[in-house]
This record gives sequence, C-alpha cells and structure tokens, in this order.
Amino acid sequence: MKVGLDAFILLATALFSVGLFGALSKRSAIMVLMALELMANAVNILLVAASRYVTPATMDGWFFAVFSLVVSAAEIGLGLSLVLALYRKVRTAELDRLETLKG
Amino acid sequence: MGVLLAAIPLLPAAAFALLGPMSRELRNRAKWVSIVAMSASLALAVVAFVQAWLAPAHGEGARVVFHAFAPIAPGGAFGFGLLLDPVSAVMLIVVTVVGLAVQVYSLGYMHSDERVGWYYAVLSLFSAAMLAVVLADNFLMLYMAWEVMGLCSYLLIGFWHTEEGPRKASIKAFLVTRVGDIGFALGLAAMFALTRSFAFDKVLPAATAWAPGAATLVALLLLFGAMGKSAQFPLHVWLPDAMAGPTPASALIHAATMVAAGVYLVARALPIFVASGVALSVTLLIGIVTALLGGSLALVQYDIKKVLAYSTISQLGYMFVALGTASEVAGLYHLVTHAFFKSLLFLGAGVIIHSTHTQDMREMGGLRKKMPVTTGVFTIGALALAGVFPLSGFFSKDEILASLLRGHHYAFFGFALLAALLTAFYVTRLWVRVFWGTGSDHAHEGHRVMLAPMVVLAAITLVIGFASVAFAGFLGHEVEWPEVGLAAASTFTALAGIGAGWWVYAMGKVDTAEVRERLRLLYLVLQQKYYMDRLYEAAFVKPFEKVAGAFAWFDLGVIDGAVNGAAALWVRATQLSWRFDVSVIDGGVNRLADAVVDAGERLRRLQSGSVQSYQRLVLGAVVLLLAWVMVLWPALKAVLKGA
Repeated sequence: MKVGLDAFILLATALFSVGLFGALSKRSAIMVLMALELMANAVNILLVAASRYVTPATMDGWFFAVFSLVVSAAEIGLGLSLVLALYRKVRTAELDRLETLKG
Repeated sequence: MGVLLAAIPLLPAAAFALLGPMSRELRNRAKWVSIVAMSASLALAVVAFVQAWLAPAHGEGARVVFHAFAPIAPGGAFGFGLLLDPVSAVMLIVVTVVGLAVQVYSLGYMHSDERVGWYYAVLSLFSAAMLAVVLADNFLMLYMAWEVMGLCSYLLIGFWHTEEGPRKASIKAFLVTRVGDIGFALGLAAMFALTRSFAFDKVLPAATAWAPGAATLVALLLLFGAMGKSAQFPLHVWLPDAMAGPTPASALIHAATMVAAGVYLVARALPIFVASGVALSVTLLIGIVTALLGGSLALVQYDIKKVLAYSTISQLGYMFVALGTASEVAGLYHLVTHAFFKSLLFLGAGVIIHSTHTQDMREMGGLRKKMPVTTGVFTIGALALAGVFPLSGFFSKDEILASLLRGHHYAFFGFALLAALLTAFYVTRLWVRVFWGTGSDHAHEGHRVMLAPMVVLAAITLVIGFASVAFAGFLGHEVEWPEVGLAAASTFTALAGIGAGWWVYAMGKVDTAEVRERLRLLYLVLQQKYYMDRLYEAAFVKPFEKVAGAFAWFDLGVIDGAVNGAAALWVRATQLSWRFDVSVIDGGVNRLADAVVDAGERLRRLQSGSVQSYQRLVLGAVVLLLAWVMVLWPALKAVLKGA
C-alpha cells in the first residue's frame, strides 16, 4: 500500500478534530492549551504533506511549518503565563468557573 | 380778573378734590373745607357782580364784561372760556348765596349723619358744576358741567342708598333727565354742523341767518334738554320722586339751581328760539301746561316736600312761559326770586321735618306756637310763592303776566292767572295744615345754625322784589313798574286763592272728604298724577324690561350657550386627544420599549460568559458557512441552471 496525500489529510483532519474536541470540552485551561497545540500541529502536518506532494520542487510548505512551530512555541509560552496569572488571581484554572462576563 | 373768575367754580371743585379721596372719618371732620370754599366763591362772586354792575350799560360790547379763553385751543372751535355778563353775574350771586346758605344749614340738618363728609363733597362738586354752567361762554362747556350736575343730583337723591325708595328715585331722576340730555346733545351736534362753533358769541348772532327749519330743530332739541333738567311736562316725573334725598340738597338742587339750569339754557339760547318762532310757541305751551299740571297736583299731596316739589314744577313752568314770550328778563327774574323763596321754603320744611319726624302734613299742625321763627320765615316764603305784594314773587310773577299781555297771549294770560290761583290755594293749604290748628305737641324750634340761613333768605325775599326795575335795566331791558291794573288783577288772584284756602282749610267751611267723594274721578286722576307714571311704566319701562329680558335670554341662551357648547366640545376633543395620546402614542412607545426589553432578555442568554460556548458558536457558524459554500450554493446553482 502506497502512502499518499490522502492519508496525510486524513491524519491531519483526525488530529484537528481531536484537538477541537479537546478545546471545546476540557475544563482545565492547561488541557485546552494542549488541545490547541494538537490542532496547530495538525495544520503543520498538512503543510508539510502538501509541500511534499503538491510542490516537490520548492520548500514553501516547510518554511511555513517551521514558521508556525516558532509562533506556536511563543504562543504556548504566553498562554501558560496567562493561565498562571489567572490562577494567582482567582485560584482556579477551570474554564467553566470563569463566567464573570455572563450577561 | 380772569384768574379770580376761574376761581369761583374752581374753589368748590378743589374742595371736592380734597374731600373726595379722604377716609370717611377724616372727611366728616373736614366738611368745613367745603363751606370755606363756598364762602370764598361767594366773596368772589360779589366782586364779579360789582364789576358787571359798574360796566357801561350801553355801547358796543357793553353786556360782555369779561371774556377769557382757557389755554385749550384758544379761539378754536372747542375754545373753553368764561363769560361774565349781567346774566351770569346774577346767576353767580344766586348760586353762591343759596349754596352757602344750604351748606351752613346742613351743618345742623345733616349733623348726625355718618356720611356727612361725602354729602359736603358732593355739594361742593355740584356747586362747582353749577357755577361752571353759568360762567361757560359756549354750549359745549355748559353741557359738560350740566352733566356733572346730573351726576351730583343722582348721588344726592340716592344719598341714603341703603333704602329702596331713594335708590329707585335716583335712578329714575338720572334716566329721565338723560332722555332730555339726549335732545341737548343732538341739539349741540346740529348747532355745530350749522356754525362750526359752540361759542355763544358765534352761534347766537348767526342764528337769524339759519333756515327757519334749522333754527326750529336746534331750538326744540335744546328745549328738550331743558325740559328734562327743569322737570317740564312730560319729563317732570322725576322731580317729585327726587324728594327722597336730603332736604337741604332738595333745596339747593331740586328747587333753586339745577332745575333752573334749563331755564338758564333757554334764556341763553333765546336768539335761536326767536329766530325759529315756532320753538317759542312750543316753549310757551309746555310752560303753561307744566304750570297748571304742577299746581293741580300740588293740591292733593300730603307729603310736605312733594307739595313743594310740584310747586317747583309749576313755577318752572311759569319761567318757561316767560321765555316763550321771548322775555328772558321776566324768566330769569322769576328764576332768581324763586330760587331764594323756594330754597327758603325747602329749608323751612327741613326744620319742620327734623322737628316732627314726619313728612306727612296730616300729622302736623299748630307749629306756629312751637316754632315761631320758622313760622315767620316760612310765611314770608309762602306769601312770596303766592305772589303777594310786596314780596319778590309778586314782582316776578307780574313781569311774566305783563310779558304775556305784551305778546297778546290773552288765553295764556288767563291760564297763568289760574295757575297763580292754584298756587295761592295750595300754599295756603300747606300753611294751614302745618302751622294752624293743633297737632304736633312735641315739636321744637330748629337750631340757630339752621335758622340763620333761612332768615337771610327771607330778608332777600323781602327786599329783592323792589329791585325788579334795576334788574331789568341791568340785563339791558327797559321795564316799568307793574301797571296798576295788572297788579290789581294778580293781587286779587293771589288773595282769592289764599282766601279760598283759608276758608276751606282753616275755617273748615267745606268738608274736604265730601268734596273728595263728590269729585272722586277728578281726585283719583290727580292722586294718580294724571297716570303719567303708570303710562311711562306701561309704555317705556315694561317694554324695556321685556326687551332687556329678551336680551338676557339671548345672552344666557344663545351666546352663553354657544360659548358653553364650544367649551364642552373642546373638553370632549381634548379627552379624545388624551385617549389617543395614552393609547396610541404612549402605547406605541411603551410597546416598543417592552419589545426591546424582551429581546434583550432573550438575547442575554447567549452571553454565557463561558469561552468554550462562544467557541462552539464559532464552530457552528463555520460549519454552516462551509455547508452553504460547499453544498447548498452549488446545489441551488444547479437547480437554477436546470430550470
């Protein structure tokens, strides 16, 4: 069996769906952050796969993927520090208890 | 002289202006201001009289002694000025003397009245107006002062306005004289249309040049005004009722001065009457009818003041008779003598009323013993009224009779003698009923302050008769002493009247009740005053009341109804508008607000505050968008293309 682009799209979709489900359903902010990482990496896989199969002559997708990795590393650092600051303030990191903005 | 002349009417006017605004208590204490002003006017009037007396009797402009124009439009059509000539000089003396006598007398008569200050104020205003009437040099000013007199007359007749009688009498007097005044006003208008002036010295010389009809019109209109003021038939009905006022005021206004103003007016305007000719005859006729009517009605009155009132009407008629023969001297001379002796009689009647507390002569009698001074002066006045030599009334009445003979009015001469007979008869009746016999035992003599003015007036009445020749000369006419034959006739008439009266009332030779019974019809007619009050009541008052009632109905029913209906409609309209406001406009606004609130209430549930719920919404929206772009839109396009 030959592994083609379809398989990678399938993998990325599955991984994105798992991440989306986690981001929507987890109570802990840490877990939501981790789910966000899953979705970001699903996109990275898709970028690399597309680069490999659609435009093998250039390496655009690679660069995009590396760029995205750097951004999500910075993002996760910012996110974790936000969660830490939130915890210090309200002594919890569970999202369903943060409903001060309820109308 | 001009300022002094102007001061004669202005002094009493100032007294009124001073007293008028005061409080009642202050005014009652300040009543002497009025007497002081009147005394000063009298002194000035004497000065003016002497000046007029010393003026040259003949020559150009001799009669007019003084002519002053007030600063208002000098010399123009409405120039107001003062005129001092023999006629006004004599009238000044009459008005100021009688005016002062009445004011002094009133100190006693009105002593206890709580509104005595106001009484004096009105007397002052009246004196000012009357003096302005006799000093006016034009008809317009005369008319204005004339109306002020009418006002004062109204105020004084209704002085005791809390009682119904005086109140009604004052309204009647005002309205009846007003009827005459309308004639006067129309006469003024006609006069102005003819000559563009009101001044005596412009109008009167021009009168001869008018068309006879125009002169007759003006003369008759002026005569109508004079008839109202001087209580001539058929406008005499107010004067007897006017006796409801204080007696001294009756003496001044309704005997001596104001009622004589009509005579003065006709005497002033006599050139117009002469130019007309017809108007003279009318004046003569009115005068003789009034003289007989007043004399006959005086016969059946029991109220002492009413007898004197009818006597005044009768004597004023006599004056009009004189004017009707174009003899202003005789008319004015009788005016002067009558002013003195009739005010004397009224003041005497006042003392009697004060003393006996009644006006009904049937309740009086025997007063000659209790009130000797009053009896004396009253007798002088009564004899003068009857026309007995040598009292003033004899001379003045004689001049009138002589003027009738000179004018060859023999029938009128007979009627005038009959009126004189009646006068002598009723005055005897009055005298006997009051002073003769027995009756009022508790009567007492009047106070000195009341007797003194009466004594002065009696003295004037005694001596003024001998001045008739001088008087006539002063007025510019040559008059001789009465002819013996005429004097004998009039004296005989007077004595016959007195004798008959004495025979009937003092000696009781005739049973008056039986005479009344036998002449019941005549007596009834006299008792009812020739039914003239009834006639006026039926002919004018009742229809007028009906018209007034109709107007009132129209006012209340139609005009008020329309106004009320409009108001009710408006209220209804505003109610509807209010409902529209509340239900539609407010309701709409409120419902919109409710809807907004409701929508907000529903929408706020979306904002749960939970981040993950928002995320789910975003996911849902993305799924829907993808579904639209990838499935629904291509399907729709395919369907549209296929169709």
